Parts: sequence; structure tokens; C-alpha cells
Amino acid sequence: MFQIAIIIFAVLLFIFGVVVFVDVLLAKKNNTKYHTKQVITAFLFILPAAIFAFFFIALPILYSLGYAFTDTGLFEPDGGKFIGFENFKAAFEEIKNGGTLAIAIKNTAIFVVLVVPLQITVALLLALFCNVKYKGRTIFKVCFFAPVVISLAVTSYLWLILLDPSSDGLMNTILMSFGLPQQEFLRNPDTTMIWIVIVSAWQGAGYQMLIFSSALSGIRKDLYEAARMDGCNAWKRFWKVTLPGLKPTLLYILITVFIGACRIMVQPMLMVGSYDPKAITISYFMYGQAYDFPYLVGYSSAIALLMTIFTGTITFLQRKLLGEKRK
Amino acid sequence: MKKLCLLALPILVLTSCGGSSEKDGGQDSSGNTIVKVMFHVDGQSEEGMAYKKRINAFNSAYKSQKIKASADFVARTQGTTSYEQVLISMKQEGTLPSIITFDSPNCSTYAHYKLVVNVDDVFTEEEKNEFITLNRYQGKTYGIPIQESSAGFYYNKTIFAEAGIDVSGYTVENPWTFDQFKDVCRRLKDHGVATPVDMRLDATRDETATYLLYPFIYAAGGDFVDENGKVTGHLNSNASKRGFQFFKDLVTNGYTSYSVGATDFFTGKAGMYLSSGWTIPDLLHKYKKNRDEWGLLPYPKDVTAASATGSWSYGLTKDTEAGRALLKWLSTPESAQVITDATGMIPAHKTLGNDYEINSAEYVLRKQLELSGTPRPEMVGYSKFSAYFANIINGIYNQEVNGVVDSFTSSLQTELDKIK
Repeated sequence: MFQIAIIIFAVLLFIFGVVVFVDVLLAKKNNTKYHTKQVITAFLFILPAAIFAFFFIALPILYSLGYAFTDTGLFEPDGGKFIGFENFKAAFEEIKNGGTLAIAIKNTAIFVVLVVPLQITVALLLALFCNVKYKGRTIFKVCFFAPVVISLAVTSYLWLILLDPSSDGLMNTILMSFGLPQQEFLRNPDTTMIWIVIVSAWQGAGYQMLIFSSALSGIRKDLYEAARMDGCNAWKRFWKVTLPGLKPTLLYILITVFIGACRIMVQPMLMVGSYDPKAITISYFMYGQAYDFPYLVGYSSAIALLMTIFTGTITFLQRKLLGEKRK
Repeated sequence: MKKLCLLALPILVLTSCGGSSEKDGGQDSSGNTIVKVMFHVDGQSEEGMAYKKRINAFNSAYKSQKIKASADFVARTQGTTSYEQVLISMKQEGTLPSIITFDSPNCSTYAHYKLVVNVDDVFTEEEKNEFITLNRYQGKTYGIPIQESSAGFYYNKTIFAEAGIDVSGYTVENPWTFDQFKDVCRRLKDHGVATPVDMRLDATRDETATYLLYPFIYAAGGDFVDENGKVTGHLNSNASKRGFQFFKDLVTNGYTSYSVGATDFFTGKAGMYLSSGWTIPDLLHKYKKNRDEWGLLPYPKDVTAASATGSWSYGLTKDTEAGRALLKWLSTPESAQVITDATGMIPAHKTLGNDYEINSAEYVLRKQLELSGTPRPEMVGYSKFSAYFANIINGIYNQEVNGVVDSFTSSLQTELDKIK
């Protein structure tokens, strides 16, 4: 396995060298004011990041692509044999038969549909709230951003304590002290995904808020003044000035939140666990197939590939549809 | 020179973090053959210290034979899966110690994937008969229990006396029935006990719920899997469903719930508490409850009697003379006694643990193990089974038993069919 990695790395290093060489040659041919030394220096600066990206991003992706067409298992990672499209066939079969993968797809779809608009709306509202000048604004910004810097595992456990369905649970203690009935929270299959959506949106919104904030400060003030002079109220100014001004940022946030939502795994894993159908998602299912029994790395890689194709297609469509309108 | 020292410092730090340089199967500077063993607990814990004690005794005893045991401790803090991943990584790297410890229900999986080897000829038939249970796969022995465990219903004697419930006739030799169990729950509820019994239906995030609840399915006449690894027709048989229905009935009647507080039994809010032997030290030391305040009742029976068994086991990963010697040493009654003295669990040997006071909690657990102990299903992919069993328990919360069990049996079969 290690030898294969070294061979691939050597090939890529060779391609990298060729690119540098061609670049220098082209520069000379076109009489561009381009110094060979500078070009080589520039590429050498890129090299550490390229090596890092190769070993920790490109190589695992390449391996995963390869595994998708084999029956590799974690118990014998080098013992897998080529089986063509069998893993893909098995995945579609499992979906068709309503197996766990089908449930995972359904849960992921519910999560994406709920979390994307919720997280973006919350982030935008928070950004608008923080964009108004008032005393103590920074404190609010810090509070809203705080969940982003805390690890997902920590916040998941915090919420798990909060949402403990027993009478000892923090939320239940508060509810019961007001004479309200004890709640089941994550235990109730009807509300499990909703709580996961709430926790995820709460955790992620702070980051998008920051991006929205910087985009908001980039919108020209004279546009607001002109709108005001034209008699636009605050609501109209938001629709006619703020929102169009945020459109490129919105597109970026929509794509990143969508991709992130498709990959949801930590919260269902830590807050529910046991591959429970109430909360199992595609990524959690994939993880379970490869890193828990039956340790099917090949099958898991095939699902990963299918998911990448799906996410890529949707992202492309999002860019195409929303991006073209921008023009 | 200063620069050289600074350069050497990280190298020194890195090498010192690397642990023992002794290689399993290799030789140390004194010419001793090194045999490594990996334990699943923290080396500084009571249990860890007990293992160290036995390793030191082994090294003294085998000094003349030039065999030296070396112990690694990988505390299983993140559940079975993460511990299993450590084992798999070690296997891939070729650094798997000669002896490993593993949770006994995983024996079939590890044997199937050749993580552990057959140890039948390491022990004589007489020695093997010494153990209450052995970990087998396809009729062969692959795991030797370190200790045993069983569970039962801890009950609050004060609450029972106040409610006028006499359970003295429900002994381990003559267990109560499902109906008698429900009747006791009803009387506790009528007496005003908020939660008559904590069945640990909430403990589905790890192995706890499966370990505590699977005997009810056997007791109802059900089973889980056949010798070909098929769960269809077994996990979802009518008898198995009757076992699951028993849990559902308890919830429906308000005798138990999925949201019992972790301390409800200890603070007198729950009348009974289903748990293993590990609760005895908690009751005695953590909650300072005298033995006359609580008692232990056996599992109730239906068409048959069944109770929980199984703990951690030793497995041999490669068949070497040194490995065999250490495995035999760790499996002796002397070793078992030292370890169970530290853990408070039941010894795995039939000759040990026979001196408990009649009807004490320890006696009930030990005797129950002997009379009705039924191991968890021997199957490749037990961890998947356990997760699906937990999912059934979660599923019957608001759905009919029939549909839930059928649906999960079908999904589990799909997972098990993926086994190579």
C-alpha cells in the first residue's frame, strides 16, 4: 500500500516538475518579464501545501475511488479483489429494498431540507442584528460565534445533557418546575431529527453570520440613502437593497451549508448513536459500514462516491441556476 | 552544541512517547523471549493493578525458562467499536500482541476474521471443564473468560414492605414468572411508586440494554439466530416477539419507562432496578445502603428460565509457546481469584465463588449463572446484532412490536448477508 502511495506521489511530483518547466519555457518564448528563479521559488512555496494535500486529501480520495470497485474489508485491507460495479449494485439494491441505507437517505434529505433554510435565515438575522450600531454589539457577536469554535463533540454532549429525557434532565427539570409535562426530546422518533436540526443550526449559524456581516458592511451606504429618499421603508430596503447586495454571499453560503448538511454525522452519532433509524444519516451509515462491523471499506467507498456525485451535481445546479440569474 | 541539544530534544521526546521498544516474540537484552498481552482497562485501575500483579508473578515463575511477559493497557473508554478499531489497526500493522482481551460476545466475529486462534489444544479437557462458560465458534474454543457476570432485579426492601409485597418465595432456584413479575409491578404502582421497575430501556447507546434484556427473549421461548447466521425466522419468531411484547406491556401499563432517572432506584423513586453485579459496590459504598435495605431477585421465567452471562475474555492471536504459557497462567484459578477480587465480578471457574452467603446478591448471581445462564448469541457480526436489538427496544416505544421486529430483522439480515 505504502509503495503504491510513493509511486503515485513520484508521478505527481514529476508532473509538477514538468508544469514548472513548461511554465518557464512559455515565459521565455513569450518574452514575459518572468524570472526563472521567481517561478521556481513560487512553486517551491506551494510544494509543502501540495505534499500535505496529496497525502491527506488526494491520496485518500484516490484510494477510496479504487476501493469502491473492490470487496476490501478493514480486517484484510490488502486482500480485496476487483468486483466491478457490485458495490454500487448492492447499494441500489439496499435502497430499493428499503434497507438502512434508504432510511439514512430519507433522514439526510429531511435534515438538509430543514437545516439549510433555518441555518441561513438564523445567520442572516443574527448578522442584521449585529450590523446595527449599538453598545455591547461585540458581546453579542462573540456569543453568537462561540458555538462555532467549540468542538462538535462537546456541543453534542452539552445538548445531550440538556435534552436528557429523564426527570433529572436539565430541560425537563425547568419544564417541570413550571408545571409543564416531562418531554422525551431525542427519544421521541417524531422529534429526534428536529432537535438535531436545531442543534446543528445553532452550532453553524455563527460562522455564516460572520460572512454575512462582512458582506453587509460591503453594501454601499448611498444605496440605502437613495432608497430612503425614494420612500422605501425598512422592509422594502431589505428586499431591494440588502438582499440583492448579499446575493453572491448567499450563493456561497447556500452551497457550503448544503454540502455540510449532506455530510451530517457527528450529531446523530453522539446524540443518538447505535445506528438508530431515527437519526441515521448517509455519512453515519457510511462510517458504520467501514469502521464498524461488517467493516466493508469497498461498499462504504462506493456510497461515498455516489454521494460525492450527487452533492457535486446539486452544487453545480445551484451555481448554474442562481449564478446565471446574478449576471 | 546548544542547537544540537535543541534538535535532539524532540527526538528524545518522540522516542520516549513510543512506549516499550520490546517486540512481541522478540528477545530482550537478557535473551528473554518477549510475550505481549493487551488489556482493555487503565493500568492504574484496581483491575489493571490486578493484571500487573499476575504478570509480575508470571515473570518470576518463568524467569528460568527465559520468557518475559509485557503488558499494554488500552483503556476501553469509547465503547467496543473504538477498542475493536485499535485491534484491527494493530493487526494491519503487525503489532497485535500475542494475547488480547475482548468482550466475549465478539468471539465469533474475531474467530471468523482470524483475529484470534483456536485454543482447544492449549488446555486439557479437564481444564476446560473448570470454566462455567467458554467462548466458542463453530464448536471450537477461541476465548477464555477472565471473569463472569450476571444480572438481576435489585429491589428496595423498605418500599416492598410498605406495599406488603413478599418476594421471599421468588428464589434463584424457583424463579418468579413473567405474570408474577407484572403483578409485583402492579402492586407497586397501586402503592404509589412512580416507577415500579427501571428496565434500563434507555441504555441503548451501548451494549447495556442488549446485555440486560436479551434473556427475556430466551425466557419467552424465542431465540436470535441459527447456525447459518440467519436471524430471519428467529429474531422475529412469534416467541421472540412475545418477549419484546413483555417490555412493551410494562411500558404501556406504566410499570417502567424510557426516561427513568439514573439515580431513581438509589433515591427510592423506583422499586426495582435491572442491573448487573457492578451495582453491588455502588449500593454499598457510593449510596451507603446496608444489605438489609435492598435485595436481589433473579430474572423472571416464562416458558423457560434464562439469565444474562458473559464478560471479557482472553484470546490468543498467534500460537506460540510463550503465548500459550502466558494464556494458561492468566487463566488459572489463582489468577481468576486475584482479578475478581479487584473487580467484584463472578469468577469464571466453577471451583471459585461457591462460598457466598445463601440468598445474598452475590449468591443469587453466581447460582443463577449456573442454573439459567444463557450466553448472548454466538454469531459473526454480534456488534450489529446488538445495535439492532437496541433499535428494536427503541422502536417499540411508539410502534407495534410485530412491525418493528419484522422490519429490523429484515434490515439486520441484509447487514449480516454482507459478511464475506
